[in-house]
Amino acid sequence: MNKTMNKLLIALLLTLTSTATFAGKEEDQQIKFRQSAYSVLGWSTARIKAQVVDRPETFNKEEVQAAANLVAAIANSGLGKLYGLGTDEGTGWKKTRLKPEFFQKPDEAKKVAVAFNQEANELAKVAATGDAGAIRVQFTKVSESCKACHDSFRIRE
Amino acid sequence: MTERIKVWDLPLRVFHWVLVAAVTGAFITGEFGGGLTDWHGRLGTLVLGLLIFRVIWGFAGSRYSRFTSFFPTPAKLQAYLKGEWREDGHSPLGALAVLALLALLVGLATTGLFANDDIAFQGPLFSLIDKDLSDRLSGWHAQIFNLLAVMVALHLIAIAFYFFIKKNNLVMPMLTGHKKAKDHIHQAGDDHVANVSLTRFLIVALVSAGITWAIHDGLQLWHQQTSSAVNTKAQPVRIPNW
Repeated sequence: MNKTMNKLLIALLLTLTSTATFAGKEEDQQIKFRQSAYSVLGWSTARIKAQVVDRPETFNKEEVQAAANLVAAIANSGLGKLYGLGTDEGTGWKKTRLKPEFFQKPDEAKKVAVAFNQEANELAKVAATGDAGAIRVQFTKVSESCKACHDSFRIRE
Repeated sequence: MTERIKVWDLPLRVFHWVLVAAVTGAFITGEFGGGLTDWHGRLGTLVLGLLIFRVIWGFAGSRYSRFTSFFPTPAKLQAYLKGEWREDGHSPLGALAVLALLALLVGLATTGLFANDDIAFQGPLFSLIDKDLSDRLSGWHAQIFNLLAVMVALHLIAIAFYFFIKKNNLVMPMLTGHKKAKDHIHQAGDDHVANVSLTRFLIVALVSAGITWAIHDGLQLWHQQTSSAVNTKAQPVRIPNW
């Protein structure tokens, strides 16, 4: 009984250490960076939404523009470089939720990525005009482009 | 000899069809996302309010709306499976499905209160818990929906089975309140058991709306007040203006 337990424990330990060793440091770093990037995106979309959708009376052109520029900057930063082959497995700040399909359907992945890019750049342009109604419309398009990728390439928790 | 007997009271029927509309609407708006996500949240709140109503109605409604009248006890289920069940209202097997549907919807509405979509939507009670827990509940929200879809499919299949095979239309009674009973043994007072007063309906509706508000807004206000009480004791936090 005890021997079996010991064997099991050793097997478990070996598995744990081997995954820790083989899951590349570089991959984990990419995952960490992209999780951080999306976290900052979340901060920005929350600010925009609060000021153009939830509480329009608090609309502040400069703040919304700053947030929209940040969204566009992240979209234009070359996020694709953080999606190296094999990064559907690994742990950044936490375990990645990228689906393996991301690498099996590169064309579709590119499509959603480019769509996000375009909508984000358009949002920065519209935000510069300070037209809250137009910003709201474009913000909706950005959030739809986020969802398109989440639906296709992100594992649901 | 067929006769019409009333089984479903009006509030129950209104509940049923508004629930169908609200859940369908929530499903569609949830799938589309984008600007409709906020509507998904609003419809979810409506579903929550309807469920609260249904639970209270399960005690305060007319005979066949009450949980005690249709709760599928093992004895009832056994009688039903032997073909000896002869009462009106939900059959024991149907009652199981009803309770499963209600339980799943309660789970769906509750997890939705705490959910977030990682884009720009947060449920009304998101701020009460941390993000990781909200993410997990959002995942459950999606999984519970899958179970609900299965139950709704079974519900519809059962109705089709009754309609085509047993020649028994179950949709009509849910619209008119009345069913045609062929082998019904008429009992004194049967015509009145499914009637309720408007006052009773209004009271239950108001109480349900109040509870829904307390969950949706009250909890948040309470949380804000208690956390701001803590904040005033500590050093005032200034936001730098750069």
